Amino acid sequence: MRDPNNKRIFRDLKKDWKRYIVLFLLMSFMIGTASGMFVANGSMMQAIDESFGKYDVEDGRFELTEEATPELLASFPDDIEIYELFAKELTEGGDDTVTVRIYKMREEVDRTCVLQGRLPESDNEIAIDRMHADNQSIKIGDALAVGGREFTVVGLIALSDYSALFKKNSDAMFNAVEFDVAVVTDEAWENLDANIIYTYAYTFRNSIEGDAAIKERTDDLMEEIAVLCATGGYLSDKDSAEQLSSDIDEWTSFLEQIEEESNELQARGEELAARRAEVEAQAELIAAGDPDALLAASELAEDAQRLQDDIDALAAREDEINEVIEDLEALEPYEDDINELKDFVPSYASQAINFAKEDFGSDSAMMGVMVYVFIAVLAFVFAITTDTTIKNEAAIIGTLRATGYTKGEIIRYYMLTPVIITVISAVAGNILGYTIFKDAVVGMYYNSYSLVAYETVWNAKAFIISTVVPLILVSIINLIMIVRLMRLSPLRFLRRDLSTSKRKKAVRLPHWGFLSRFRIRVFLQNIGGYIVLFFGIAFVMLLLSFSVGLPEALDIYKDDMVNNMIAQNQYILKDYQDKDGNVITTSNSSAEVFSLETLVTTDGVRTGEEITVYGVADDSRYISFDTELGENEVMLSASYASKFLLSEGDTITLKEKLSDETYTFTVRGVYDYSGAMAVFMRNDRFNDLFDREPGSFTGYFCNEKITDIDADMIYTVIAREDILALSTQIEHSMGDYMDYVSFACLLIGIMVIYLLTKIIIEKNAGSISMVKVLGYGNGEINSIYVGLTTVMVFIFSVAAAFLGVRLVALLFRVIMYSMTGWFEIRVTYMSYIKIILIMLASYAVVAFFDMRRIKKVPLTDALKNVE
Amino acid sequence: MSEKELQEFLNVCNVFKAYGEGDSRQEVLRGMDFTVKKGEFCVLLGPSGSGKSTLLNIIGGIDSADDGYISIAGDKLRDMDEKALTRYRRKHLGYVFQLYNLIPNLNVKENIEVGAYLSDDPLDIDELLNTLGLWEHRYKLPNQLSGGQQQRTSIGRAIVKNPDILLCDEPTGALDYNTSKEILKLIEDVNRKYGNTVIMVTHNNAIQDMADHTIKLRDGKVRKNIINEHRISAVELEW
Repeated sequence: MRDPNNKRIFRDLKKDWKRYIVLFLLMSFMIGTASGMFVANGSMMQAIDESFGKYDVEDGRFELTEEATPELLASFPDDIEIYELFAKELTEGGDDTVTVRIYKMREEVDRTCVLQGRLPESDNEIAIDRMHADNQSIKIGDALAVGGREFTVVGLIALSDYSALFKKNSDAMFNAVEFDVAVVTDEAWENLDANIIYTYAYTFRNSIEGDAAIKERTDDLMEEIAVLCATGGYLSDKDSAEQLSSDIDEWTSFLEQIEEESNELQARGEELAARRAEVEAQAELIAAGDPDALLAASELAEDAQRLQDDIDALAAREDEINEVIEDLEALEPYEDDINELKDFVPSYASQAINFAKEDFGSDSAMMGVMVYVFIAVLAFVFAITTDTTIKNEAAIIGTLRATGYTKGEIIRYYMLTPVIITVISAVAGNILGYTIFKDAVVGMYYNSYSLVAYETVWNAKAFIISTVVPLILVSIINLIMIVRLMRLSPLRFLRRDLSTSKRKKAVRLPHWGFLSRFRIRVFLQNIGGYIVLFFGIAFVMLLLSFSVGLPEALDIYKDDMVNNMIAQNQYILKDYQDKDGNVITTSNSSAEVFSLETLVTTDGVRTGEEITVYGVADDSRYISFDTELGENEVMLSASYASKFLLSEGDTITLKEKLSDETYTFTVRGVYDYSGAMAVFMRNDRFNDLFDREPGSFTGYFCNEKITDIDADMIYTVIAREDILALSTQIEHSMGDYMDYVSFACLLIGIMVIYLLTKIIIEKNAGSISMVKVLGYGNGEINSIYVGLTTVMVFIFSVAAAFLGVRLVALLFRVIMYSMTGWFEIRVTYMSYIKIILIMLASYAVVAFFDMRRIKKVPLTDALKNVE
Repeated sequence: MSEKELQEFLNVCNVFKAYGEGDSRQEVLRGMDFTVKKGEFCVLLGPSGSGKSTLLNIIGGIDSADDGYISIAGDKLRDMDEKALTRYRRKHLGYVFQLYNLIPNLNVKENIEVGAYLSDDPLDIDELLNTLGLWEHRYKLPNQLSGGQQQRTSIGRAIVKNPDILLCDEPTGALDYNTSKEILKLIEDVNRKYGNTVIMVTHNNAIQDMADHTIKLRDGKVRKNIINEHRISAVELEW
């Protein structure tokens, strides 16, 4: 015979359908979101991983100052295949702030994924990045001005080396709004009027196994290429190159010395010739034995002999000289091949290639934490629900136990409901996860990144995290709670005496009004429910803090950035001198020189993070700190200090990005500037440290536009838009999403509070009924039960808001550790008020239902189940 | 089962029980001694606080004695661990409570099945429903039944597994006179028909007349142990 108790399950579910529907909705929503997130994440990850092979993604790239000669290319190491990936940058859509980097059609490396339309076939056609097109509302068929020319957009694409549109690898954030990548036909590309960026991609001919091995080979490769470029392909070894460099210096100075000596000998020869003429003119006097003439002739003979000796000595060094000349002549064929390595980015360090993937990773970790927190809250809601049910059914359980039902049978029965609800939620959640939620998350990813096409793949990890773990978590928490209660004897159940703690004396309350004391008693009696209510509210507050706090923090950040910019413009020059060696100056009175270098961190919360080193004028108007800096002392920007938790007296070690040269500094103080991860020192010290000529500089800070410097001499200008790239992009990719999260929070808030207050009221139905019998009106009862809950919800909301904001700030800090740059969530009092109001609005809806529920409690409840 | 086991089927031997500690300690049973024969209808009679329900609970294995022991067919309950006690209740006991304690969302038949499930050889449920006079009501939920019908259901649940001992804790305490008599008649019929030993707790003196054996309790002790040679039928009872 099957246990007849099983027949109760569906009747129980039917009886309390509202509660279970809410639990089901909450759980399936959460599981769906988590599953959707993980599935989208996993599918996207797989698509990206596969894209490396499918689209022949490079193993790295480098940029040279000019086109490499075939000889130089031929000198590059044999284990790599080199591909031209030349680009031109122009303005797009007639908007000066939008830059499009245009490539030729890619056949061999970093090939193109066409998401919509097709690749260009004629010279007036262009295919642009799909995400940028979305951002700029560009559609296939639209005309697009690029530089001065007009193209027709025929395709929306994802370049496999640009899953995130980073203009420079050192940018804090990609910017798919103001930066675009595109491909055109080769001929169209040749006709574009812009400087060529000489980028070369490389792939290893034989794949290298293991990250460490790849890095090791890449480090060597970078050095080899740098040396080969510097020596025109003559040498690839840094030590030999350094030796050659010093040899050349030696040889040059040797030949200069020889030339000097030879010039001197020639001068002496000419002088002797003149004197000889004079002596010959005095032949008669010599013959006459004139002592002066004889002396002059004798001195001439001696000097001539000396000159001859010196000439002989120089001639004796001919072999040596020829050897040096030969050595130098041997270098001549390489002179035309000399180039300069401007940048080198292995694919594993490329933000454009890896940022999206890494972001997916952190998304997935954060989602995992969120799921567990939420499922734990739900498990406790379940546990409290089951606890209430068990307490309400204590006499039945006592009877069953007295009749001979085992604990195991009873536990199994009370475990069934939470397990059934969780299983159904898991099934529904997974269906939603693989459909609607996955599409939503994929949409979000495509809204943020320039991703290649993907296929949905089954994700075992998603299933475990979103389904198996919640099921186990709910089961364990419920099991612990039920088993704990089932330890009580059947008699205790029959007597409805289920207090697991030792009977305590009633807490003595102050002499407050009766209703106040009544409320306190209700609170003390339901303290478990209120604790879970607090956690429920805290969870919703955590999400709310994020969804409300982030956009506002972004606004604050943007204002801060704009208000605290070092200068409206930072002009970076190609050199501080023009071709004629004249220092480049400006008549603009607000301009001020500065120097700039980029190093990377070697320790702290993130290694390899780029740090801008500024050399500033002694009495700078743009970066003014009065502190006297010692030789190795620097000031840190506020963002650097904050991210790396540094303060005065700490030591930092930075290194050059493309070599092992390290620099150790002592932090002298923090300069209130959050626009960049930067250190500041005096310009003289900067020049000394980085071996620059005294008085040299990198460019000008200027709050006005500088008009009197030749545009050819300006490398780049950092303006407001560049500073705001980080916030612009975060805002763009998370803006709509945050509204959605806020709305979801409101719904989750309503459901969580509904569930918990429902339980509290049901638990007190007997008392509510009794006070009704005694003659209390609904208003008075509401003031006790709903009033108490209102006060508690208010207190919890305020407390949880502060807690949530701090927790979000902490979480965000951890997230930012994996990103370049620094941005802190700061929440204003207005945001606090806003999130508390959202929570209270959720509660207002619930309070309405609570009051209705109290009104519905029948008077007869007071008389039921009382022995 | 030997003659001795039949004669001393239930043996309550010098049982003590107290609740609380210190000043609040209250001795409920103070050396309780008696035996009950197999198949006997035994009434534990006494005023409120005399210890009768406590004794019933100890016999039922849902409470334990501080001292002394209770044995059923020679098996001492104090030697049984929790699992053995559950097995004992499952196989040998039926419980009837004053407040029925029916499962509200199971109908009459299903509530009886709750008891039948525990037995390897349960009584025929349909036949029992007829015996209990509940055939017409078998698909009703408890809240659609009168108190008497609910108690009959609860008796059905207790006896469907044909227990050796039927423990009844004030089964008519919440019922009116006529319904009480109906219920008592039912228990009497069950006792006669199925031969279960019935231990019934009551404070109603009149009920002792229908019992084979009455044990009067006061202040935790047996005051009188009466064997009734001429028990009368429940329908003849008056109070």
